[in-house]
Amino acid sequence: MGLRGGPPRPAEPGGPALRFSGVVHRYRSIVALDHLDLEVARGETLALLGPNGAGKSTAISILLGIQRAQEGEVSVLGTDPRSAMASGKVGAMLQVGGGSGLPHGVKVRDLLSMTARLYRNPAPVARTLARSGLTELADRQTQRLSGGQAQRVRFALAIAGDPELVFLDEPTIAMDVEGRRSFWAMMRQFSTEGRTVVFATHHLDEVDAVADRIVVIRKGAVVANGAASTIKAAVPTRRVRFASKGVDPARLRELDGVNAACVRGSQVVLDSLDADATVRALVASGVSFTDIEVTGADLEQAFVALTSDLAEAHTVDDAVAPAYSAPIRRPPASRTAP
Amino acid sequence: MTGLPTFLRFEVLRLLRNVRYVGITVGFPVVFYVLFLHNEHPEARIAGTTWKTYFMVSMASFGAMVASLNAGGTRLAAERASGWTRQLRVTPLPSWSYITTKIATSMIIVLPVIAVVELTGLLIGGVRLSPLTWAVLTLVLWASAFSFASLGVLVGYVASSETVYPLVTALMFLLSFFGGLFTPVPDLPVVLRHAAAFLPSYHYASLGWAVVAGRAPGAGDAGVLLAYAVVLGLAVTWRHRVDESRAFA
Repeated sequence: MGLRGGPPRPAEPGGPALRFSGVVHRYRSIVALDHLDLEVARGETLALLGPNGAGKSTAISILLGIQRAQEGEVSVLGTDPRSAMASGKVGAMLQVGGGSGLPHGVKVRDLLSMTARLYRNPAPVARTLARSGLTELADRQTQRLSGGQAQRVRFALAIAGDPELVFLDEPTIAMDVEGRRSFWAMMRQFSTEGRTVVFATHHLDEVDAVADRIVVIRKGAVVANGAASTIKAAVPTRRVRFASKGVDPARLRELDGVNAACVRGSQVVLDSLDADATVRALVASGVSFTDIEVTGADLEQAFVALTSDLAEAHTVDDAVAPAYSAPIRRPPASRTAP
Repeated sequence: MTGLPTFLRFEVLRLLRNVRYVGITVGFPVVFYVLFLHNEHPEARIAGTTWKTYFMVSMASFGAMVASLNAGGTRLAAERASGWTRQLRVTPLPSWSYITTKIATSMIIVLPVIAVVELTGLLIGGVRLSPLTWAVLTLVLWASAFSFASLGVLVGYVASSETVYPLVTALMFLLSFFGGLFTPVPDLPVVLRHAAAFLPSYHYASLGWAVVAGRAPGAGDAGVLLAYAVVLGLAVTWRHRVDESRAFA
């Protein structure tokens, strides 16, 4: 029943780590979650993506037991979200906006040891400190930490209870490149110990490197579900590059399949939903060009394609639609009932 | 459930290590007591007791109020703003434990504040009471500090981290001045004398003034404080629910 390929997993007691089935949640007239279905296997690292307002926050607050789903079923580690949280098998690192997310007037070590004692089977504090790269900062007062250091402490808080399932919302948002790199190295180490990790981020390059699987949410429902490579391959966007002098961008946008055109000096870049048709139209148009190159979508383009209004009818799912490949230009305003 | 004592201990220690907090809550009432002790003749009779004794009760009340408003209000507003309260919601601690712990912390901190002011009265003011009266006074002031504790927590929930300081300062000023903690109520302008009857600070101190005058604490005062505690408690529960039900982005 594993969602990924490869050798079958050992028997999984209690089923998946996380399951949403047909979850609906509304705020007055706004539908935040529209029959959301989601399943995360134990030991899996899943990236949850979606533009702002897609329903990610609502899904997160439901899985953490902060809100109750109005319709549908949610199970976390085989029980309801609140019981799972109370049992101490779930850890979470939330977004904190402008603040540090930490109480003041306490040393990092004391904060972590207090937090650890709230859990039934916590990790030793020294191990939590080491896992989150905080050993040297253990005696620092929380109000003296930099933004990136505070973020590492919040990661440490999430893992202090030695949880089976860890949820991370934008975990690297305040970190510099080096901080992010070492953070994901720590995270990788942590997830290889058989733990389930679900994270949300806007840094798509991280997703590509870290996640076993990606789920993209849009308007409260899953629009893509699969490995990064599957999602990239499934999105018909291609990038057509060539060199040309004095070409009019407006004219390029008229070419078949072109989604966006960008001209910088003699360099032209076209985003196309049908590269073959675009190249044929380009040749037919009589525009002179050299050095033409067609490349596949990167994850960011795939994400944009999946979540923009052009993508209204896209659904990518490993299980349901193994290969989405029909390179059809879709009318921008088409609305398809889910 | 098991985490509650751990968390309470953490909160109390964190508060006690805060030098500024301890300095303000203990320092203000002690310094004011010493400063204003000689505003009247210390042995002047007032409300069935002496000024030095009466004013000691006033300053113990002031200290209890300042301690509660800061322990609950200021810190809670800051911790809501920093995101710490949300982080706590994703631990095994039950959702009500944050408020409960704030109120309990406030109650624990108030006791030494009252004791220090009493000690100042004994050592510097020359206040003499029977051991039983000392004990009853301490107990009465401590138990009824519950209404200040819930006021502090409510302030922490309604104020933002920017508005909490002016709000706490304003409350401290209004409640202590109009409640007769600095100038006895009979000496206040007539309009304010009527206002005092509505303030928890006045009824709180009245319980103590009655004890040191050898009278039984007034049932009316206790009733008003209890009503305050109930109303504030309900308001806190309501604000907590509002905070809780918010999805977070």
